[in-house]
Amino acid sequence: MNAQIFADSHFVYLICAHLRDINGASNSKFTSNHSFNEDKQFPCNFTSMLFLTLLKESVFFAWHSLAANKLRTFLSLLGITIGIFAIIIVFTIVDSLENNIRGSIQSLGDNVVFVQKWPWTFGPNYPWWKYMNRPVPAYDELFDIQKKTKTAQAVAFRIGGRKTMKYKSNIVENASLAGVSYDYYKIKSFEIQEGRYFTEGEVSAGYNVCILGSKIANGLFPNNPYPIGEQIKIAGKKAYVIGLFKKEGESMLGNTMDHQVVVPYNFARLILDVKSEQSDPYIAVKAKPGVSNAQMIDELTGIMRGVRHLKPMADDDFALNETNLISKNFDVLFDIIGMAGWIIGGFSILVGGFGIANIMFVSVKERTNIIGIQKSLGAKNYFILLQFLCESVFLALIGGIIGLLLTYGITFLARGSIDMEIALTKSNIILGITISVLIGIISGFVPAYSASQLDPVEAIRST
Amino acid sequence: MKRPLIITWICIIGFISIIFTFPAVFSPSVKKLGDFVPALYGFLVAGSFIAYIGLWHMKQWGVQLFLVIFFIKTLFLMSINDYGPGTISGIVFSVIFTGVFLKFYPKMDLNL
Repeated sequence: MNAQIFADSHFVYLICAHLRDINGASNSKFTSNHSFNEDKQFPCNFTSMLFLTLLKESVFFAWHSLAANKLRTFLSLLGITIGIFAIIIVFTIVDSLENNIRGSIQSLGDNVVFVQKWPWTFGPNYPWWKYMNRPVPAYDELFDIQKKTKTAQAVAFRIGGRKTMKYKSNIVENASLAGVSYDYYKIKSFEIQEGRYFTEGEVSAGYNVCILGSKIANGLFPNNPYPIGEQIKIAGKKAYVIGLFKKEGESMLGNTMDHQVVVPYNFARLILDVKSEQSDPYIAVKAKPGVSNAQMIDELTGIMRGVRHLKPMADDDFALNETNLISKNFDVLFDIIGMAGWIIGGFSILVGGFGIANIMFVSVKERTNIIGIQKSLGAKNYFILLQFLCESVFLALIGGIIGLLLTYGITFLARGSIDMEIALTKSNIILGITISVLIGIISGFVPAYSASQLDPVEAIRST
Repeated sequence: MKRPLIITWICIIGFISIIFTFPAVFSPSVKKLGDFVPALYGFLVAGSFIAYIGLWHMKQWGVQLFLVIFFIKTLFLMSINDYGPGTISGIVFSVIFTGVFLKFYPKMDLNL
């Protein structure tokens, strides 16, 4: 109540200032109980100055009105808080997952084509029985492609499998083992934190050397941050550690180097069955700068058909897969998740908006006689409008900010428990604040406008 | 001046279109266009809503605001190369509505 009285006296001061300007500063007969500086000079652009002052006053009124009814304020902004939280948390999770997957796909290479037995995507009439009889890519085909290609910058072969790694009494079971050709580093992006990559001689001679991912290194050497030169056993075969991959964190596609042990192909074939489909052998081909994937696929189709001695009318017995096929599939998935969050959050915000509109109508009804007094003292319609509009925008903005803080808190907690980057981005913060302000404007305009149109005499009489 | 029936209908259509347009402000497709695009689009939607309130009360500022918003919205849609059937029909309807509003403009209230 005190806040309201103070706000009213402050308003009288403003009206006096306004009317003093209209009547001339020297013959002003208006006074107020608020301290008033008679010598105060207004700048030339008084209208804009007055507008800003009135806006400031509107904010002041709004703040005191909200502070005077704390419980009501809290309950009204709860709807907006939940709505903003629902929308922004979904967008934050979707953005984080999307960044993670895009990063994983990028690490595979944007302009890389994979020669494999199975295609990554297939339609409803998928002739799987034909694909069953296809041969898996062979190591020798790598050299054929390397010799004949004009569009490829690098060609690499990889096979993989799960094996047990052992160092003294430390064992890592089911670790991912990859046998690669020398040019693998030109296609797959990774960083070596300690040690080095293989030499060409080590790969061709099949030396028993390996590079460990950070999780594998932690498992085998928990107390040794520099295990270079140490001897481990991969499925019983001795291998020397020559390098450590830099930690990458979890990947949605599961292609993080953290869980991998990479060895030269000619060493891996002693451990893995190279002709087995279980080893998932593939040839990765990276295009030269300026060469499109389509151009390279055309060339690779011709080369592979030649290598496999396929007749002109025979179907291809290999698949050429591109990374953008994965990203297209994920785009659809993320659009669906984003849409679900949008619908859920949208409804919450709609309910929150109705809540604010309702509370603003109550607020106008409660303060009808104050509005009457203000208008009879000379308050313009736009001042009354601004006063209530500021109140609703304030209410929605506070709700939105609380929603954003909740989202930040959840992402902060999640960061500690999940080995994946989840962050509330700048664009989502802007979106949250924008939606809050919009809801404040849309739900508060009608009550504010109805307040501004009240007849002062009838408004004063109302109880 | 009493509100003509045609303006009542236009305002009702406008309010309904805003109900359907508002969720698009925070849709993933608009969000992808840029950090500040949802904010700009949102303020255009809010501006349209306020313009229709003004028109409902037969205020001249409603027509003025409607024209300003229509102009900015058209520029915005052109800047993002949105020339879909929805956009074109929206522009056509807005031009027709503007004609109707301008017909009654002199009789509308000048005050807020």
